[in-house]
Amino acid sequence: MEKLSKKAKVYLALVFFILYAPIFYLIFYSFNSGGTMSNFDGFTMEHYAAVFNDTRLLIILMNTVIIALLSSLISTAIGVLGAIGIVFLRNRKMRNAVLSLNNILIVSPDVIIGASFLILFTMIGVKLGFASVLISHIAFSIPIVVIMVLPKLQEMSSTLIDAAADLGATKRDILTRVIIPYIKPGIFAGFFLALTYSLDDFAVTFFVTGNGFSTLSVEIYSMARAGITLTINALSALIFVITLGLVVGYYFFNQRARNSIGTGGH
Amino acid sequence: MKSKGARSFYLIPYYIWIALFVIAPIALVVYYSFFDLQGNLTLENYQNFFSSVYLRLTLSSFWYAFLVTFFSILIAYPTAYWLTKTKHKQLWLLLIIIPSWINLLLKTYAFIGIFGLYGPANKFLAAIGIGEQQILFTDFSFIFVSVYIFIPFMILPIFNSLDKLNPALMDASRDLGASSWMTFRKVIFPLTINGVKSGVQAVFIPALSLFVITRLIAGNKVITLGTAIEQQFLVTQNWGMGSTIAVFLILFMIIIMMLTGQREKGGSANGKTK
Amino acid sequence: MDTSIIRFENVSQIYDGAGPVLNDVSFELEKGKFYTLLGPSGCGKTTILRLIAGFITPTKGDVYIEGKKVNNIPANERQVNTVFQDYALFPHLNVFENVAFGLRIKKLKKAEVERRVKEALEFVNLKGYENREISEMSGGQRQRVAIARAIVNDPEVILLDEPLSALDLKLRTEMQYELRELQQRLGKTFIFVTHDQEEALAMSDEIFVMKAGEIQQSGTPMDIYDEPINRFVADFIGESNIVAGEMIEDYRVRFANKEFECVDQGLNPNEQVEIVIRPEDLEITSVSQGKMAVTVDTQLFRGVHFEISTIDEVGNEWLVHSTKKAEVGSLIGLDFDPEAIHVMRLNESEEAFDARLESYGAEADEK
Repeated sequence: MEKLSKKAKVYLALVFFILYAPIFYLIFYSFNSGGTMSNFDGFTMEHYAAVFNDTRLLIILMNTVIIALLSSLISTAIGVLGAIGIVFLRNRKMRNAVLSLNNILIVSPDVIIGASFLILFTMIGVKLGFASVLISHIAFSIPIVVIMVLPKLQEMSSTLIDAAADLGATKRDILTRVIIPYIKPGIFAGFFLALTYSLDDFAVTFFVTGNGFSTLSVEIYSMARAGITLTINALSALIFVITLGLVVGYYFFNQRARNSIGTGGH
Repeated sequence: MKSKGARSFYLIPYYIWIALFVIAPIALVVYYSFFDLQGNLTLENYQNFFSSVYLRLTLSSFWYAFLVTFFSILIAYPTAYWLTKTKHKQLWLLLIIIPSWINLLLKTYAFIGIFGLYGPANKFLAAIGIGEQQILFTDFSFIFVSVYIFIPFMILPIFNSLDKLNPALMDASRDLGASSWMTFRKVIFPLTINGVKSGVQAVFIPALSLFVITRLIAGNKVITLGTAIEQQFLVTQNWGMGSTIAVFLILFMIIIMMLTGQREKGGSANGKTK
Repeated sequence: MDTSIIRFENVSQIYDGAGPVLNDVSFELEKGKFYTLLGPSGCGKTTILRLIAGFITPTKGDVYIEGKKVNNIPANERQVNTVFQDYALFPHLNVFENVAFGLRIKKLKKAEVERRVKEALEFVNLKGYENREISEMSGGQRQRVAIARAIVNDPEVILLDEPLSALDLKLRTEMQYELRELQQRLGKTFIFVTHDQEEALAMSDEIFVMKAGEIQQSGTPMDIYDEPINRFVADFIGESNIVAGEMIEDYRVRFANKEFECVDQGLNPNEQVEIVIRPEDLEITSVSQGKMAVTVDTQLFRGVHFEISTIDEVGNEWLVHSTKKAEVGSLIGLDFDPEAIHVMRLNESEEAFDARLESYGAEADEK
C-alpha cells in the first residue's frame, strides 16, 4: 500500500476538523455562563440544569422517544413481513414494481412527504398531533426496514428453506425457526435505522404535527428561529453523546453478531 | 397453491401501506394542484408556475443545488480517495459518518453562532485584516452550510466504489505505461463514476428541497423549491400552489434519478467480479 | 414381499417457456440399495431428487413412495431426507441444534432428542463437536453434519445432491468410502446425484445414466462400463475409443478397414454400428503381432500409466492406456481380445438392448 503523502494528510485533517468543529463548538458553549456563542465568560452547568428542570422540554423528549420506539417497532414488523413477501414473489415484474414503489418514500424529499401526508390526514380526518406524527413515522420507516432486511433474505440460500421443509418443518416453523433467526441482523439494523430516522426527523413532523404536540426537533427549530439559547447547546451535547453511544453500541453489537453468525453456511 | 396464500398474507399490511402512504399521497398532491384557494378546478396554478417569479425561483434553486453538489464532489472525492488509502479505513469512514447522525437542525444552529456577527468566523476575518463581514443570511453561508451537511453523503458512495476497485487494475494501468494522472482519468474515475452518481442523487435532490437551512441561515428568503412548498403549505395556506410546485419537484426528481440512474451492467462490474 | 420403495410412472417435469426437464421417466427403486443418478448438468437428475423430496410436484405422471402416491404430499410430510449440495446447514444454529432440528420439529422429548443426536453424530465420527458453530467446521465436517442431520430422522430414503462436489480430491475419495460404508451399516436406500462418473462407479449398486431429461441406461456399474448402450454413455462413463463400423455377420465386425472377430450376434447383416474399445483393453505390441497398425501421435505420462494417442490408417484416433512407453511418430501394433470389442446399434432402446444382452448370456450358457 502506498503511503499517504503529507498533502493528503493535511487535507484529511482539515476535512475532519471542519466536520467536527461546529459540533464541538456547540458543546463548548453549552458550558458558557455568558449566554452567548461568542464570548466564553465562565464554566457553568446551568444550561443542563435548565434542560432537566424544563418539564415542557422533558415531556417533548418523552414524546419523541415514545414516537421513535413505537414507530420503529411497528414499521419493523410490517417491513420484515413485507420483505419476506417480496422475496417470495414469483413474478419478476411484479417484484420490481413493488420494490420501486417501496423506494419512492426513501428518495422523496421530506417536504413532499410532509406536504402530501398533511393533505392525506386532512382528507381522511386524522387529527393532527400524536396519531398523525406516529403514523407518518411508521410510514416513512417501513421502506427503510425493507431495504435493510432484503439483502439478508436474498443472501439466504433457498436450500435452507428446502432443508427445513425436508426435515419436517411447516410453513410456520420455517418462518419462526429459520427465516427470522437468519435475518435477525437485518431486522436489528432496520429497527435501529428506523429509530434514528424517527429521532432525527424534523421536516415531516413539522408538517403533520398540530398545535398541542411537538417533538424535540420541532421544538429545537422554533427555539433556533427565535435566536441563540444555550439550552439548545446543552441539548445538542446530550444528543451528541447519546447518538455516539448508540452508534458505538450498534457497531459492537453488529461485530459480535457477525462473529457468531458470520461466514457460516458456505 | 397453499403456500401462495400464506405468503401473500405477509404482504397485506405492506400493500396497505403502499396504497395509503405511497400511491395515495402522490395522487392527492397531483389532485390538489388543480385547485385554487377557493376550491375551484383550475389550471391557474400551472400558469402561475410558468410565470417569471416561479421560473426564476426554479432556476435559482437549481443553481444553488448545482453549486452545493459541485463543491461537495470537489471536497468529497479526494477525501474518499485518500480515506481508502488509510490504515484503518473503516474506522475513519465511521468517523466521517458520525456527524451525519447528528440532527441537521443542530448543525445548522451551530453555524448561526459561528457565522454570527461576533462569531469565530468574523473574529478570524478581523484577525487577518479583512474586517468583520455580514456572513449570515448570504448565499455564501447557505452554500457553505449545505455543503457541510451533505459531504458525508457524497463521501460514502464514492468511498464504497473506490474501495471495491480491484487494485490490480491500477497496477495494470501503470504497467501499460499510464502516469498516475492518466490512470486516474482513464481507469479510476470511469470505474467510480457510479459512486459519484449515487452521491449526486443523495445531494442534489435534497439540496433542491431543503427548507431548514434556508430558513435558519439564509434568512427568510425563498430561494429553493423546498422553501416555496413549505411557504405555500404552512404560511400562505395555498395548498393548490404548494402542490403544483411539489408536482414539479417530483418531476425534477424523476428526471435526476433517470440521469444518474445506473445500468446494472456497469454498476456491479466495478472492476471486480463478485 | 414388496421390496419397491420408490416408483416413477411416466413422470414429466416442464417449466414455463422451456422444454421438458424430465421427459416421461419411469423407474422403480428397491429398498436398501445405493442408487446413483449420473449425468451432465441440466440432465434432470436433481429434478428427480427434488420430486422425491417433495420440493416440486410433477407436471405429468405419478411419484410413489412405498406404494403410496405422493404427488401432493408436501416435503415436510415425507419420510425422506436430503443432504444438500451446499449442505444447507443453518448458520444460526450450532452443530447439535442443526442435527436436532428435525427432532425438535417433531416435538420429541428432550432426552430422546439428546440421545439420538449424540448417536447420529457418533455415526458420522463427529463425537464431541456438539457445541461447535457451523462456521468453525471444515468442509468435510460440515458434510458430516449434513449427513447426521438427515439420518437422525431415521428416514427410509436418503437423498444426496452432489454432496461431495465442494470437497477437494483427497477428502472426496475418503468420503466415498465412508458414504458407501454408512449406507451398508444403515441399510437404508441412498439416492445419490453426481456428474462424476468415477464417484458413481465406485459407490453404487445401480447407476442411472441420464441425458436431456431421459434415462439412457440403468444397471450395475460393471454392466454400464462394459456394455454401454450408446455413444453418449460410452463417452460419459470412462474414456473410450468410439469408431464407426459395420456388422458383417454374427461374430464378425468390420472397422478401420479390417475385419475382426467379436462376441456380438443377433444384428442384421451389414448393419451400420458403432464400436467401443476401452483404452485399457488395447495392448501395444509389434506391428507384425498386432491386429491393427497405428502411428503414435502424442504421449502423456499420467502417473499410473502412459496415455498414448495413436492414429490408424483410415484416420481413426485410438487412445491407449499402457504401462509401456511408446515412441512418438513410430508405427506400432495394437492387440485386443474379441471380448474387448463392444458393438452398439444406433438408436437402440434400453429394452431391446437388455434383451439382446440377455440372449448372449443364454447363448454362452448353452455353449
